[in-house]
Amino acid sequence: MQLRDYILRRVIILPILILGVSIIVFVLTRVGGSPIGIYLSHEMTPDEVAQIEARFNLDQPVWVQYIYWARGIFQGDFGWSGVAAAPVTDVFPNKLAATMELAIASGLVAVFLGISLGTYAGARRNRLPDHATRIVAVSGASLPQFWFGILLLIVFWANLGLAPIGRSDASIWSSISHPTGIYTVDAILAGSISAFWDAIWHLILPALTLGYGATAIIARMMRSSLVEELQQDYVDAARAKGLAERIVLRRHARRNALVPTVTVIGLTFGFLLQGTITVEIIFRWPGLGRWMADSVLRGDQATLMTYVLFTSVLFLLVNLVVDVIYAYLDRRVTLGK
Amino acid sequence: MQPVDQEKAVQARPRPASVASVRNLRVYFQSKRGMVHAVDGVSFDIYDGETLGLVGETGCGKSVTGRSFLKLLPVPPGKIASGSIQFKPHATCRNCDGNGCPSCEGTGRQSAANSRGRSNEKGIRDSVDAEIVELLEIGREEMRRIRGDRIAMIFQDPGKALNPTLPISEQLSEVFLLHRTSELLEAAGLPASTGGALRRFASQEQRFGDSLLMALPPNRAFRNRLVGALNKMVIEALGDTQVPNPAKLMARYPHELSGGMKQRVMIAQALACNPDILIADEPTTALDVTVEARILELIKELQKKRRTSVLYISHDLSLVRRICDRVAVMYAGKVVEIGSTDAIFRDPRHPYTRGLISAVPSAGARRGELAAIRGTVPELVDPAPTCRFAGRCPFEADSCRRFEPELKPVSNGHAVACFIDSAAPSGRQPTFQSAAV
Repeated sequence: MQLRDYILRRVIILPILILGVSIIVFVLTRVGGSPIGIYLSHEMTPDEVAQIEARFNLDQPVWVQYIYWARGIFQGDFGWSGVAAAPVTDVFPNKLAATMELAIASGLVAVFLGISLGTYAGARRNRLPDHATRIVAVSGASLPQFWFGILLLIVFWANLGLAPIGRSDASIWSSISHPTGIYTVDAILAGSISAFWDAIWHLILPALTLGYGATAIIARMMRSSLVEELQQDYVDAARAKGLAERIVLRRHARRNALVPTVTVIGLTFGFLLQGTITVEIIFRWPGLGRWMADSVLRGDQATLMTYVLFTSVLFLLVNLVVDVIYAYLDRRVTLGK
Repeated sequence: MQPVDQEKAVQARPRPASVASVRNLRVYFQSKRGMVHAVDGVSFDIYDGETLGLVGETGCGKSVTGRSFLKLLPVPPGKIASGSIQFKPHATCRNCDGNGCPSCEGTGRQSAANSRGRSNEKGIRDSVDAEIVELLEIGREEMRRIRGDRIAMIFQDPGKALNPTLPISEQLSEVFLLHRTSELLEAAGLPASTGGALRRFASQEQRFGDSLLMALPPNRAFRNRLVGALNKMVIEALGDTQVPNPAKLMARYPHELSGGMKQRVMIAQALACNPDILIADEPTTALDVTVEARILELIKELQKKRRTSVLYISHDLSLVRRICDRVAVMYAGKVVEIGSTDAIFRDPRHPYTRGLISAVPSAGARRGELAAIRGTVPELVDPAPTCRFAGRCPFEADSCRRFEPELKPVSNGHAVACFIDSAAPSGRQPTFQSAAV
């Protein structure tokens, strides 16, 4: 089966999966109670409450409500966010851009740092670089994000005053336009170096906090699978051919060691999204995670459902990408029958 | 221990040229309980074009000895403690320039005895003006140039020795890209002095951005020609091992092939550059008996065609008897007996060799009767200077437990390390009559 056909088939299956996900999301949210709370105030009479219920179709059976909700989504109506005091669709893109900027930055840090640290350590097993990497990895995997983030804040923001907090410097950011909402990209598009540095400067600490744990996981996985690959006979056979150690490592061992690592990278993506909630709260990053946390606490179901639906779809897509990368790395993988 | 005893024995007859001389090789492994003397003073020669069998039980150091030729030991904990392996590479035949002529029997190579030094490798010259490379002392780069080109290796399990995620063609072409860059450029119609991205492509040293350079028009056509030439070389190498339809096999992955096919691919890979020495580490152990016979035939045939010497490592005596010209029996890190296959099997002089030979079940033996050597191989952690076989030997006497026998010649080219044939300094001597209870 061709790679192209495989991708096509996966894309065709995608809507069915999304439908299933949407049902689960809706049902699970409704288990938490009626979403009416966000529209009410204390002065309302029971009559007025019933009126509001009827207006949002909350007096209908649950499955009818689901259809109304699903229809709204197809029409681009995700509901009213009580927390943001605006329609979800108005607020979502900007918050998403902020979160994506953070998640991508830390994801890049984690993947590159993780793979290179893991390779470096795995190729020098039980020597000093391996032990040093182990310390980095174990601490990364065991430090809670909220603690590590606050630690960084205390040192670099409160004491040393080296790093800023929040997303940007207001005076710099009001001076350029924001077509994408991703500030680093906006700064490059505007051609402003100072704005770019400002964006990076604000990004460093949260990205480091968010990416540290994932770096550790990826580095450990990479190291152990590389160590395992290096003990295989084919590595010695490659050396016996006269290949340089560098090529043995790159072309033979590392490529095979990447296969299990890529699985972990796919899973790590979920870890990153989950992490954005704490990291955004700590660093006052105006993204989805913080919005989401507020929505949970205040029973803002429209926001909640949108967020969960969105992350589920994202997960499905990431998994698809991971499977395609598999097929590229391990060309034995047969894609379907 | 005197390393050259065996040479004295050989001097009596016209001496065949040796392509490799191992002298007093010691390889130690650091373990928690002490130094493991995996190979402890091994000396032997591999003669030009012969098959030397290296037999012994599991853990006697035969694989480690073979791997020492290519310095393929796990370091640490392994360490080549002392000794030397002198390697005399063949030169191309002076009469035909490598194309094959009657004087070199069509191999294109000169026998080791009268070969001239190869200019591209560093080394010293001995009295017959053949170049000598000290394998244990050369640097990593020089070792890399010898690996796969002058000395190649076949591994025990072909299923594990091929990279599972690369197609056969890519694994085989690596050998040519490494060692046959100039020939490859020539075959593609390019001058041997070609440099830049094309040369890097033909020697597998691509740099960042090279793939882009190669995809652009001026280089693109050359690249396709290089790939064509490379594929031709690979097909030829595969064809030599009598695989059906080599062109089709190239795109396959190892897991799509049978064990025998995989081993043929390994052999094609190992013999691709006409090595002077082929180290075969139990190449048929993982195969069926029927496949085994054909693989052995194949090795024999290719060896003859290319004047390659084979170091055949095996625990299978009957197999060694069938294919080897000479046999070295190893026990506990030492060579205990060495000689022509004929002499060893007709008149084994070492009690261990005798035990091994009688342990091979024959068709005539009665059901339920299997001869075994009692006991197990001793641990090789800091061994005492006694006969290593003492304790398992049916003929041992007290001198065996006090002194260490050295390899001494008993007849032409046949040497034994046992006090039965050469008296110990003192104490009661063992004889074949004095079987211990």
